[in-house]
Amino acid sequence: MKKFLFLLVTLLASFQIYAHGPTPQKVQETITINASVEKVWAVVKDFCNIQKWHPAVEKTTCEKKGGDTFRTLVISSGETVYEKLRSVDEDLLKLKFEIMESPNPFTDFNSYLIVTKGANDNEASVQWTARFYRLYKLNPPIPEGQDDATAKAAAQAIVDSGLAGLKKMLEAK
Amino acid sequence: MYKFFFIALIITSGFFFFEISAANKAYITNQGDDTVSLINLDKLEIEKKIKVGQKPLGITILKKKSIAVVGNIESQNLSIIDMKTNTVIRSITLDATPLGLTHNLDESEIYVTDWFNNEVIIISSSTLQIIEKIKVGQTPSGIVFNKKHSQIIISNRDADTIEIYSEKTRELIKVLPVGKHPYGISTYGDYIYTANVYDDSISIVDINSWKKIDIFVGHHPYNIIQEDHYLFVTNSLDDNISVIDLNTLKEEQKIATGETPENLWVDQINNKLIVTNWGSDSITIIDLKNFKDTREIKSGLQNRAFGDFIVN
Repeated sequence: MKKFLFLLVTLLASFQIYAHGPTPQKVQETITINASVEKVWAVVKDFCNIQKWHPAVEKTTCEKKGGDTFRTLVISSGETVYEKLRSVDEDLLKLKFEIMESPNPFTDFNSYLIVTKGANDNEASVQWTARFYRLYKLNPPIPEGQDDATAKAAAQAIVDSGLAGLKKMLEAK
Repeated sequence: MYKFFFIALIITSGFFFFEISAANKAYITNQGDDTVSLINLDKLEIEKKIKVGQKPLGITILKKKSIAVVGNIESQNLSIIDMKTNTVIRSITLDATPLGLTHNLDESEIYVTDWFNNEVIIISSSTLQIIEKIKVGQTPSGIVFNKKHSQIIISNRDADTIEIYSEKTRELIKVLPVGKHPYGISTYGDYIYTANVYDDSISIVDINSWKKIDIFVGHHPYNIIQEDHYLFVTNSLDDNISVIDLNTLKEEQKIATGETPENLWVDQINNKLIVTNWGSDSITIIDLKNFKDTREIKSGLQNRAFGDFIVN
């Protein structure tokens, strides 16, 4: 329940893209999964099927524009999120994507997931890092819901629930 | 040139060598825990973490005055670090958001871009008092000092311009359009370089003719510096730097860094490029002899170091 709290906040949030304020916010979390690194990476890099593991995503639609891949997510609230695949690095087992449009109370959201081998062959770690800025770009006072704390809480919820969902899906018998 | 002089000195004086090498350090601002990491560049070890104001970003080092000046975004002040004791000896209240910092050639003045009030704040390095504020264009970000032309140069991020001011008269000499979203800026001799974040490009401006050329680099270039006949540009969302040869004006290669590389400066003594990686809380050290032999060490949480962060 708590993890979807951010969706409520987003109702008031603007869709407009402005230039951002000076301090980037960071969320970085790591989870250990009892599955092989190959199995975990196969799921993480499958950009067009995030609904299989992220509990906030109902549906994913992928499209190609030139050489670029984009996905449209329908999230639990019924709203949509539009994302661009930035890169898939098969050597580093690293996937990068950017949120282009979303109802979330943050902007300039760039993110990457890295899969590394764990203590044994049947264990892997996934680190998810997100860099973003709050919505409000001008002089203080900062309106409620557009500040750093709100932006960070929303991103934290996306990362935390996503990693937990990934673990749950991969460890399911 | 300086290097040969240095080598001559270390041969003749062991004591002098100790003095110099003791000063071979990086001061790196960590926005994640409100500290500055003091890194010994010979040993590549963190010597100390110095508590400063809230959300430190910019830094400039006044070697002769033996101080490092840190700009704190959230607490809206400057922290002055005494480089002999490596403690904060003074905090200067600004009522402004300090973004970029630099100083003039004789180190008598410190310049700070104030993001919210669209000003450059000038501080005396001897009294540590504000002496003057210059009104400038929108969203002043990066700031550098051109030694040859005695000019204060800033990037106006949201206006897509750079502005050039006279050190002596404080008058605006020129406003020039560059690429979109110029943030990091540097200058050397007759040239100004900007990293244009939203264009994935850099601009090179000739100070004498005001002619400009743009070169495409990687994703979200953040900062840029010149060393020898090369430009080095951090591609913050590609996790690498672009190396541009100034003779051909072509990108020669890309070198991998840590996650989200932002700022960079040269360690002249060891001939290494030091890059701060915001995403991996680390610095990447690249040997400038061959652009290989890279190393990465942890530095501090969300390290930034926007400015001249090395004292050699």
